[in-house]
Amino acid sequence: MKIPLNLTINGDTVELTVDANETLLHVLRNSASLQSVHRSCEEGECGACTVLVNNEPVNSCLVLAVSVQGASVMTAEGLVRNNEPHPIMKAFTDELGIQCGFCTPGMLMTAYALINRCEGSELTDEFIRKSLQGNLCRCTGYVNIVKAVKKAKQNKDAGYWW
Amino acid sequence: MKKREERLVMGKGQYADDLEFAGMAHLVFVGSPYAHALIRSINTDKAMTLPGVVRVITGQDMVQHTHPLPVQANFKKPGWTWRLANVHAMPHDKVRWYGEPVAAVVAEDEETARRAADLVEIVYDPLPATGNALEALTPESPRVYDDWEDNKQVHLKFDFGDPDKAFEMADQTLRVTYREGRVHGLPIEPRGCVAVYDGKNDALDIWGSFQTPFLARHNIAATMGMPEAKVKISAVDIGGAFGLKIHTWKENVVALASKLTGRPVKWMEPHRDFMATGPHQRDVFWEGDIAFKNDGTLLGLKAQVVHDLGVESTNKGIAALSIFPACSAPASMYKWIGMHIEGIGAVTNKSFYCAYRGYGKDKGLKFIESAINQVAKKLGMTPEAIRFKNFIQPDEFPFHQINNYVIDSGDYPATLNKAMEMVDMDGFRKKKADLEKQGRCLGIGVSTTIEPAGVAVPNCQMGGITQARVMITPDGSVEVHSDRTEIGQGAEISHATIAGNILGMDLAHIHVKKVTSDYIGQGPLSSRGAVYPASAVAKAAKLLRKKVVQCAAGLLMVEQSDVDMADGFVFSTKKPETRLSYRELADKVFFFPGPRGLDPEILKNHDHLLDVTATWYSPTTPDTGSSYTTFCVSADIAVVEVDVDTGVTDIVKYVHVHDAGTIINRQVIDGQIHGGIIQGIGEALYESLDYDDQSRLLSTSFSNYFIPTSIEAPDIEIAHLETPSPFSETGSKGMGEAPIIGSKAVILDAVEDALSGFGIRVNDSPASPEKVRQWILETQRKTKGED
Ligand code: FES
Ligand code: FES
Repeated sequence: MKIPLNLTINGDTVELTVDANETLLHVLRNSASLQSVHRSCEEGECGACTVLVNNEPVNSCLVLAVSVQGASVMTAEGLVRNNEPHPIMKAFTDELGIQCGFCTPGMLMTAYALINRCEGSELTDEFIRKSLQGNLCRCTGYVNIVKAVKKAKQNKDAGYWW
Repeated sequence: MKKREERLVMGKGQYADDLEFAGMAHLVFVGSPYAHALIRSINTDKAMTLPGVVRVITGQDMVQHTHPLPVQANFKKPGWTWRLANVHAMPHDKVRWYGEPVAAVVAEDEETARRAADLVEIVYDPLPATGNALEALTPESPRVYDDWEDNKQVHLKFDFGDPDKAFEMADQTLRVTYREGRVHGLPIEPRGCVAVYDGKNDALDIWGSFQTPFLARHNIAATMGMPEAKVKISAVDIGGAFGLKIHTWKENVVALASKLTGRPVKWMEPHRDFMATGPHQRDVFWEGDIAFKNDGTLLGLKAQVVHDLGVESTNKGIAALSIFPACSAPASMYKWIGMHIEGIGAVTNKSFYCAYRGYGKDKGLKFIESAINQVAKKLGMTPEAIRFKNFIQPDEFPFHQINNYVIDSGDYPATLNKAMEMVDMDGFRKKKADLEKQGRCLGIGVSTTIEPAGVAVPNCQMGGITQARVMITPDGSVEVHSDRTEIGQGAEISHATIAGNILGMDLAHIHVKKVTSDYIGQGPLSSRGAVYPASAVAKAAKLLRKKVVQCAAGLLMVEQSDVDMADGFVFSTKKPETRLSYRELADKVFFFPGPRGLDPEILKNHDHLLDVTATWYSPTTPDTGSSYTTFCVSADIAVVEVDVDTGVTDIVKYVHVHDAGTIINRQVIDGQIHGGIIQGIGEALYESLDYDDQSRLLSTSFSNYFIPTSIEAPDIEIAHLETPSPFSETGSKGMGEAPIIGSKAVILDAVEDALSGFGIRVNDSPASPEKVRQWILETQRKTKGED
């Protein structure tokens, strides 16, 4: 059964028609052509498909698209402005918190939400590690990812952020 | 060059799953629910009635339309066993492991293909299965291949140096064993590709997650019965590989599907399929005797290693080949009189074996590290003392090791000393003793290793030879081609840095091209990246530099010896203002080459094209047969605390000292070290492929195969030494595997040290919390029994 779905994706309102059993992951990749949303386990274990729904990170493979009717969805594409990397992305390249890049967009979304949530407070390594545990990375060993998140937080504290 | 990393963080990666072609159909495999069964019948009628289904391909189609999978390594030799199975990419008669694909459904979209896959009706006659190498080698075991007399695929025997003399000289010998469980390298991205068969030209193009396009082309063309010239393989962005995307086999079915349907066909592997039918690794049983003197001098080893290869069928000979380095590697970085080592590979009803960071060398290296630590304990020596006693010394390089490796360079004592400086060994040892009194278990592990890198062996596809092309395009930028796919290991930035340094050009103008099967080489396997492809690029860039000098001398009307280049300009060292930008130079050379511009001799020799394709081959391999060219060095020290009540190991401190020769990009190297160490920690403490009693895989997802998350991963302190390799063009050594080897060895050693109060020998990885608890309980039970 096809169902109309209204979403705000990366700031744009879109009207889509989706199947009742379609996941948000499938809709974002296939109907909205947002390929930063990566598909791996499709069972909520790896975090590669993480996007923000109303500013909260979710595994889009576990979310039925129709269940987020009217929501605001943000993906890594939405962080890019004027073809410039977002300051959190810049932090990931500066610190080389990326190798194969497959986990990266999902990781970025979790980290972005984390930093926004921690307005004004310190971000300890331990807290960063706890917050990122749902995003698996097989390449980096997380060391540079933690550094990148700290760097991103500095960027934000220095007013370099959007 | 626009940095690849910037493209990827901005969500502009193009991975296999992102590929789209007009008219593209989707393929989904149907896997066997049994580890061993006869296929009685396959009925595709129901599946075909589902709207949107295009075709179902079965093993019969493979037999009818393709050739058996090609042999990739063959080492038949008198006295050795070396068997190969004769199979197609999908079986028509019998399945041999859980998940083995038996049919492939092609449909208009993936969802339909998945639903149709469930409608394919297959009748099986289950057979008894074997899921353990030691059992598989017994006469009672079910046989995996009917035409083999038993399940032994390989039996290799090596004598290095003089093993008998070593044992005659010994004051003591010690029985040593070492068991590693079965693991999966498990990149986050599974495998995938799109095959596009072009019926007009009878040509095949495949894009996908190919780690080694040149080999993939050879193997796919062979099964398709097509000339290689008609097949092109292109690597797209790859979401991690670690050796697991070298092998092609399901891709052959995708290729056939495209040919049979006349459509582009996409296959993106579900993650559970990747776990069940991906290459697996480790799963070895070592047993032997080590000979030494009372002062700790190591003398010899007589040992046997049994490998559980799983099925042999999908990459004929490549799993077996990994037993060579496993048998050779124990000599490692120490001096020996001799070794006798036998390597056995048993086939079982499990998924096949291929490369994963380490491939085979890792097994010998971890085994010897463990064995040496046992010797040290026996003699009451510290693990560092026994190593200092036996290291090859810095003035002995190049060192011809007993196993025939010609080891290039290094300073082993300095490497270990450096690691010890970073850890307060005495302090931690004292702390261990103090904590012990409170019933707490602290352990300090020490491990050192070398990383034999850049494999080149005869009689197999890992032949070594590698090609690279560096050219200046008419707009004055540089294009670099090689076989080194970017799998997240910094291939692009490293190549660009090498070419940029040699040509005096800014990285922004250097474009490292994505890898296709057009360039010869085995890609980034066996840490070849910094050895073969990097050397080929450096060699091509150096030759290109000569051409630039020749051309510029004519154009600038200066002596060749006075030409230099930097920051994108070619200039006279005598008069730096007499210069050309690369753009000007290229423009003149390409479009107005002569006769007034360039030296007529250059034109007559056809030397003016600023385009060089060079091949590179190890300088040591031809004369000595050394199968590796560079040997990076590392030392790991870890401090752990094991919680006796839960069995959980907490890593308190981790240091790693690394010597990979000349450093091209430190950030890249550090990233490889971090990633490798965490993977090794995963293997040491958590990761295990488990099976039921019918040899069906139970660990089929991230929820029951535990790779480290950001919580389990510790912080890592790294220090570098830089002893250049005399054998690579850049002085760099292949790297990326030592960290996974050293970290697994050191963590297991540290856990054993932590459990020293119980007298537990940690000899079965992973040392998972459950197992640690079990070991402790067993010991307690035994002690009680004795009381
Ligand atoms: S794909 Fe959604 S969590 Fe793995
Ligand atoms: S960078 Fe490869 S999975 Fe994280």
